[in-house]
Amino acid sequence: MSLTIIKNATCTFCGCVCDDIEVHAEGNKIVETKAACSLGKSWFMNHNAEKIYPEALIDGKEASIEDAIEAAADYLYKAHMPLVYGLSNVTCEAQREAVSLAEKIGAVIDSHTSL
Amino acid sequence: MGGKVSCTLGEVKNRADLIIYWGGNPAECHPRHFTKYTIMQKGKFIPEGRKGRTMVLVDIRETMSVKAADIFLQVRPSKDFEMLSAIRAMVKGQPVDPVLVEETGLKMEQLQDLVDRMKRCKFGVIFFGMGLSMTRGKHMNSAQILTLAAEMNAFTKFVAMPMRGHGNVAGADMVLRWTTGYPFGVNLCRGFPRFNPGEFSTVDLLVRGDIDACLVLGADPGATMPQPGIDTLRRVPTIVLDPKVTYTSQISRVHITTSPTGISSPGTAYRMDEVPLPLRPALKSPYPSDEEVVKRIIQAVLRKPAWLPGSKVAASDVA
Amino acid sequence: MLRITGGKVYDPAHGVNGVVKDICILDGKIVADVPAGARIINASSMFIFPGGVDIHTHVAGAALNFARALTPENQRAAAKFLHTADTRLGIGGATPTTFATGYLYAGMGYTTVVEAAVPVLSAKHTHEELRDTPIVDKACCLLMANNELVMDLLEKGEYERAKDVTAWMISAAKVYGVKAVNPGGVAAWKWGKNANHMHEAVSGYNKVTPGTIVSNLARICDELKLPHPMHLHCNNLGIPGNVSTTLETMKMLEGNRAHMAHLQFHSYGGDDWHNMRSESVHIADYFNAHPNLTCDAGAVLFGNAVTITADGPWQHLLYQLTGRKWGNLDVENETGCGIVPYTYKGSNLVNAVQWAVGLELLLLIDDPWRIFLTTDHPNGACFWRYPEIIHMLMNADFRMEQVRKLPEAALSRIFLDEIDREYSLYEVAILTSAGPARALGMKQKGHLGIGADADIAIYNEKADGELLFRYPRYVIKGGELAVEEGDIKSTRDGHEFVVQPHYNPDIEGYLREKFEEQYTMSFDNYPVDAERVHGMQMADCSYQKTP
Repeated sequence: MSLTIIKNATCTFCGCVCDDIEVHAEGNKIVETKAACSLGKSWFMNHNAEKIYPEALIDGKEASIEDAIEAAADYLYKAHMPLVYGLSNVTCEAQREAVSLAEKIGAVIDSHTSL
Repeated sequence: MGGKVSCTLGEVKNRADLIIYWGGNPAECHPRHFTKYTIMQKGKFIPEGRKGRTMVLVDIRETMSVKAADIFLQVRPSKDFEMLSAIRAMVKGQPVDPVLVEETGLKMEQLQDLVDRMKRCKFGVIFFGMGLSMTRGKHMNSAQILTLAAEMNAFTKFVAMPMRGHGNVAGADMVLRWTTGYPFGVNLCRGFPRFNPGEFSTVDLLVRGDIDACLVLGADPGATMPQPGIDTLRRVPTIVLDPKVTYTSQISRVHITTSPTGISSPGTAYRMDEVPLPLRPALKSPYPSDEEVVKRIIQAVLRKPAWLPGSKVAASDVA
Repeated sequence: MLRITGGKVYDPAHGVNGVVKDICILDGKIVADVPAGARIINASSMFIFPGGVDIHTHVAGAALNFARALTPENQRAAAKFLHTADTRLGIGGATPTTFATGYLYAGMGYTTVVEAAVPVLSAKHTHEELRDTPIVDKACCLLMANNELVMDLLEKGEYERAKDVTAWMISAAKVYGVKAVNPGGVAAWKWGKNANHMHEAVSGYNKVTPGTIVSNLARICDELKLPHPMHLHCNNLGIPGNVSTTLETMKMLEGNRAHMAHLQFHSYGGDDWHNMRSESVHIADYFNAHPNLTCDAGAVLFGNAVTITADGPWQHLLYQLTGRKWGNLDVENETGCGIVPYTYKGSNLVNAVQWAVGLELLLLIDDPWRIFLTTDHPNGACFWRYPEIIHMLMNADFRMEQVRKLPEAALSRIFLDEIDREYSLYEVAILTSAGPARALGMKQKGHLGIGADADIAIYNEKADGELLFRYPRYVIKGGELAVEEGDIKSTRDGHEFVVQPHYNPDIEGYLREKFEEQYTMSFDNYPVDAERVHGMQMADCSYQKTP
């Protein structure tokens, strides 16, 4: 299996957001990191690209992503005061979409900052 | 009073000769902070590196970070605000009651020594962690330490910065500010942004049970919230987007698996000093990114009759 | 396809002064004619202007976003923008959200805005905000006058390399022009100091002075053939007696082009806050005689503002003067920024002088092609208050009524009561559109000739300049009807203009080494990818010095 080397990768485990990590990936796994600290290393190594989890769950049962998206949209649309919470471990691009969604469903939107 | 006087981390690397960590344990929580940004670095104006810098640690207990510090000041739990108040007064040369100082667990001489060092340094910085900002006093403590740093500029160059924990919590602040005008806890229910921490912050909303649905992404509140908050998440329809099936997923109605940020999803993340950095994913995930899923939820919502402020359809009518 | 008929056209770039003629639009451009069947807008008893161009404003970026967080009390009091099927929600006020910014500018007939202060380190962020600023076209100026990599090279006398570094930075940040803020002063602020004298070495340097930085950077911009000259915020902003610094700076710029930003803040006499007075006459005299210069007013209006500038040391002084909140963010090796909320009061002598100086410059500088309407938003006032200023420029009686409201003691310190000039509609069109577009080197903006971008503001005829310019009847952006009677009709995103000046590719190796020593991020992550700049349009670097 071929080895992919990513230089200047960015670790988003903690607020340091170090962007000088070298990540070695083989197939679906990260096999090595250089320059990362112990927390960063285990964060990189703990994720892989294997299909371990079902793509979606509805009421604890496996479901298709299409159905899950429809169900999510239904619940959020019907709610009078939904909450969109978290945001701290997703990209800014996802955060930006989350604001757009919060606006369209009339939600409160909040991150870990308020804790 | 108030405000925030700060800098990007490179300024600390290049110039800081006095580095104070307050209520944080970087050795274990931000392991590369010392080596990449602060005490261990050789900077443009600190060519001698570690020898050219003094590190002070203020905390309630001896952590792994003490080993790195030149001076450790052990403050009594919940006495940070009092200690900061005493320092602010001493900086301005105002009299301070020794009995009050004693209550902080520190001696007058220790505080005077710190104040002298702060005034003597060429470039001072205070990094403050959750040990300050999330203990008794909370945002009052943060305001106090930020004000201290601001006031120090009457004597020398001084800045302060919070040690942000989660990877892209700084990014969330940034995005919310430019889109809604406020950094967190923004209520859009009336069709325009409203901000009132304590009323619209997550813990309060969940504990009071004010909400009737919840979308969780990039967080696992089911593992960390107070029990009444978790009960609310269980009671209302909760939807989770996460690379793993989390505690919150287990009490939710809908879970959607997404690709992990930075490992499989590209995009941007902000460092604690609000410098944006690109993500360079190494793996191709079988799951969609959070961004993609949220976009698809938006599309599904837009297929329903438009909701406009003042004309929201009652939940029962929609079904 | 669109035909606008019956309106009085003000197109100063072509000498058209209130002539009734048709304007035709096809594919976003102005064309000679459109076939029958094109949509017709009947503009009889309306005025037709080229869309407004704001040459100097602060609407996006790390500093403005910092200010939003710092002033929730302002947001609470500000105008609200409701979520609708077509528009995004937001907040107006002194530091509007990005979506609101686009709606507010377009709603006032402005279709192009220049964000005047961007560091390379956070340029990515600025572009993200501009992406979310709808309707208007955008461009950025890059903060270079306190860049230590450049200053270190000037210290060693390596001009050519400094030029290459500047060109590389412009390309890396994806910007349109170069901004100089308090040259040397912001670098000195990194040690808590300032740079107050043009010929004194900057703290930490032996040779480099504010003067060296100003003259070299102006030359660099000209030699790189940038469409817009060096955009300069002089040393000693806001300080009584700074007229001497400003005049000295302008003298150093002879032989090069320069744009003097928010000149109002740099035209004061006296030597302390108690005897501060207007020196607009001196400044205007010099300025009128030196066609290498353009400027914008940076006018002040009474009321709440938020001061936001890269000028860190000035903001510390303002914090000490006012005792209000203070935000500061020093950016490694490049620049700084400071934020202090501020209220301009008519009863305050200093504020009264500032208010007068802005208007005086607008009236005493006789060539409207060289002075442009700005408030250095949100420093002097919010951009959405421009119509109030236009009204005062067009109506001397109304202006005098305002002057009479000032404290008696202010009158001996200003000249405004002696000036009776009134702007014509034609001159307003130059001041708000044709002039700034020309100074920016944007050939497709600021006019209504064939081939121009179809950015057009159409106003109902009214005598009151404020009412006239506050509420356009129609605003057309890129050929699309964007605003009709105050309603946002289309929110198509605008373009962002960037330039890519030529540099010696070897400079990258030099920069990489310096970068690893002095910065904290990876060099390869530093430049902004072109695909992150939404609607990017490359402009030519083809400025030719006129002999």
